[in-house]
Amino acid sequence: MATLFLFGLLLALLFLGVPVGLALGLSSVLYVALFTTDSLSSVAISLFGVGTHYTLLAIPFFILASAFMSTGGVAQRLIRFAIAVVGSFRGGLAMASVLACMMFAALSGSSPATVVAIGTIAIAGMRQVGYSKEFASGIVANAGTLGILIPPSIVMVVYAASVDVSVGRMFLAGVVPGLLAGAMLMLAIYVVARIKKLPAEPWRGIGEVLTAAKEAFWGLFLIVIIMGGIYGGVFTPTEAAAAAAVYSAIVALFIYRDIGPLKGIPWASASDDALTRVGFRGVVYGFSFYAVFSILAFFAVGPAVQGGQAPHGWGMVLGALVALAYMIWRGPGVAPLQLARACLGGFRVLGRNVWMMLRQARPVIMGEDSRGVVLEAAKTTVMLMFIIANALLFAHTLTTERIPQTITEWMLDAGFNWFTFLIAVNVLLLIGGQFMEPSGLLLIVAPVVFPIGMELGVDPIHLGIIMVVNMEIGMITPPIGLNLFVTSGITGMSLDRVVRAALPFVGVLMLFLIIVTYVPELSTWLPYALMGPEIVTQ
Amino acid sequence: MTLWPHALLLLLIVALFVWERYAADTVNRLEENLLVSLLSLITLVSFGQVVARYMFNTGWAAALEFVMACFSWMILFGMAYGLKRGVHLGVDVALKRFPAGLGRWIAIGGAASGAVYALLLLDATWLSWLGVDTRSGAIDYWSKMYKINIGAEELRWPTWLHESMGWKDRVPRWLVLLALPISLALLAFRSLQAMVAIYRGERAMIIAGHEAEELVQQNQGVLKGN
Repeated sequence: MATLFLFGLLLALLFLGVPVGLALGLSSVLYVALFTTDSLSSVAISLFGVGTHYTLLAIPFFILASAFMSTGGVAQRLIRFAIAVVGSFRGGLAMASVLACMMFAALSGSSPATVVAIGTIAIAGMRQVGYSKEFASGIVANAGTLGILIPPSIVMVVYAASVDVSVGRMFLAGVVPGLLAGAMLMLAIYVVARIKKLPAEPWRGIGEVLTAAKEAFWGLFLIVIIMGGIYGGVFTPTEAAAAAAVYSAIVALFIYRDIGPLKGIPWASASDDALTRVGFRGVVYGFSFYAVFSILAFFAVGPAVQGGQAPHGWGMVLGALVALAYMIWRGPGVAPLQLARACLGGFRVLGRNVWMMLRQARPVIMGEDSRGVVLEAAKTTVMLMFIIANALLFAHTLTTERIPQTITEWMLDAGFNWFTFLIAVNVLLLIGGQFMEPSGLLLIVAPVVFPIGMELGVDPIHLGIIMVVNMEIGMITPPIGLNLFVTSGITGMSLDRVVRAALPFVGVLMLFLIIVTYVPELSTWLPYALMGPEIVTQ
Repeated sequence: MTLWPHALLLLLIVALFVWERYAADTVNRLEENLLVSLLSLITLVSFGQVVARYMFNTGWAAALEFVMACFSWMILFGMAYGLKRGVHLGVDVALKRFPAGLGRWIAIGGAASGAVYALLLLDATWLSWLGVDTRSGAIDYWSKMYKINIGAEELRWPTWLHESMGWKDRVPRWLVLLALPISLALLAFRSLQAMVAIYRGERAMIIAGHEAEELVQQNQGVLKGN
C-alpha cells in the first residue's frame, strides 16, 4: 500500500508536468511524512549532503569542460580531421560525421551538446553535396548518443556513485563498446552509400590528415589528460575532471581564441616574414613537444611526491631537437646564421603572444564571454544536480523500505537466470528511458536492479554499460527522445520526420545493445586488463 | 520551539520581493553571479589543490570541505534559480494535450508542488495540524546547530580574522548550513511567484520539456534553408 503510494504519486506528478526532481523529491518527502516516523530534518540534511558526495563532484567539472569545448571552433576542427581521415569512402561525409561525433563525445559527457556542436556544421555540409535531409539528420541524431557511452560520461559518473563502483573502470569499459557502436554505424552508412550511390569526397592526401590533426590536437589532448591522469593512477576521476575543466578553458580562451577579447587575433601576425613564421612554428612545436612529453611522463611515473622522477631534461633536449629539425626541414636548411635568426624571430613572436595574453588575462578570464559559458555550465549543473539530489532521496526511501530486497527475492523465486534477467533489465530501461531523464532513471533503477544482478553473477561494470546503452536508445526513441528534440530543433524538421529519419539507425543500435548485453567481455576486457577486476562488497 | 528563524526568513523574502520590484535586473545579475562564482570557485580550488598536492606536496587541509560546502550551496541556490528561469526538466507531453483552461490549472498545481515540497522540508509542523504524525525540518535542525554552536570539521577562519574578532577558530557549522533554510524559503517563494505568473497567463508552465531547450532555441532552425 505504502509502496503503491510512492510509485503512484511519482508517476502522477511526472505526468502532471511537475519537474522530474520535484516529483521524485515530493513523493519521497510525503512518503516519509505520512508513513514513517523519521523526522523531516534528516531528509533536509540529506539534501544538503548531496554536495558532499565526492564522486558526484566530478559532474560540474565535466559539464564546464564540455561547455568550453562546445564554444566555437573545436567542433569545426574535429570535423575537418574526420573528413580528412574517412571522407574519401563512399558516403564519406556521413561517416566523418559519426567519427566527429565520437571524438566530440570524448571531449564532452553529454549527448545534446554533441548533436548541436557537430550537427549544425555536419548536416549543412552533407546537404551541400547532395545527401537527403533525412539521412543526414538521422545519422547525427544517432551518433550523438555516443556522447554518454564514450568516456568521459556524466551518466557513468552517476551510475558509479549510485552503486559504488569505480568511475575509472566504468570509463575504460565504455571505450571498446563506444568504438564498436561507431564502427557499426559507419558500416551501416557504407552499405547504404553503396546501394544509394552516395558521393565520396576526394582524398586530399596524408598532408591534409596531418594538418587537420595538428589543428584538432589541443582539443583532443583533453582525452589524454582525463584518461591518462586516471589510469596513470595520478588523479582521482574528480581531480581529472577539475584539471579537464581548467584545461578546456585555457584552450578555448587562449589557444584557439574562439571566444573572448582575444577572438580573431592570430598567433603570428601578417607583418612577420616567412623566416620568422617558420621559426615561430618550430619553437611552438618544440615547446608543445616538451609540454606533452612532461605530462605523459608525469602520468607514467607518478608525482614526485610518490617518488616519481619525470625525465624533464630529456623532454627539453628532445623538444629542442624537434624545433631544430622542423626549422631545417621547412626553413633555411642547415645554415647556422639563418637558423639562429629564425629561432630568435620565433621566440620574439612567442614572447609577444605571452605578453599580450598576460596583459589581457583579466579581461579574458573575467569577461562577458567566459562568464556566459560558465553560467551555461552552472545552469546545466544545477538542473542535473536537482534531479540527482532528489533521485538519491527517492532511492534512499526505496532502500529503507526494503523494496529492492523484495523484488530480488521475487525475481529469484520466479526462476530468473542472468540471461532472462538482462532481458528484463533491457525492457524496463527501454520503456523507462522514453519517459525519464537518464541520470534520474538510473538512480532509481540501479539500486533495485544491481543487487539482483550481483546475486545472479552479472558483472557490475558490465551491468553499468548495459544501462548506459539503454539510456542511449532512450534518447532517440519517442516520446521523450532528447536527441530527437534537438535534431528537430536545429533542422526545423517536424518531430515525426526526425523519428522516421532516425529509425533505420536505431535498428543498428538495437543490434548493438544485444551484442553488448550478451558479450560481457566487450565491456570488461579493457578495464580488467588494466586495472584488475571490480570487487563488490555488499 | 523558537520562531525567530521563521520570522527572519520571512523578512528576507519580503525584502527580496520589494527589491525585485524596483531592480529586477540587479537581482537577476546577482543570482547569476552567485552561481558563476560558486562554480568558478570550486573548479579553481579543486584544480589548485591538484597542483599544490602533486607539484609542491602541500595543500589546504580544508579544501575538500570548502569545495563541498560551495557545491552544496550551488545546488541549493540553483534549485530556486532554476525554478525562476524554468530550467528544470519535466514531462510536458501530457500537459500540452490538455484543453487550455484545465492545462493552466494543472500547471499551477505543478508550481504549487514546489511550494509544498519547500515548506514541508523547511518545517513540517503545519502538516501535523492536519493530523499527520510528523515534525521537524530544516529550520528546526538549523536552530539546534545554532544553539550548540558546533564547529565545522576542518574549515577554519583565517587567523587574523578570528583573533581580531575574538571568534572560535573553526567556522561554525550553522553558517555552512545557512544555505539550506534560505534556499528552501527561496524555492517556496519562486513557486508562489510562478503560480501567480501562470494564473495571469505570463508563463505557460514551470518546466522545460527537455534538457537542451535553451540550446535548441539558440540554434533554432539554423539549417532550415538547406
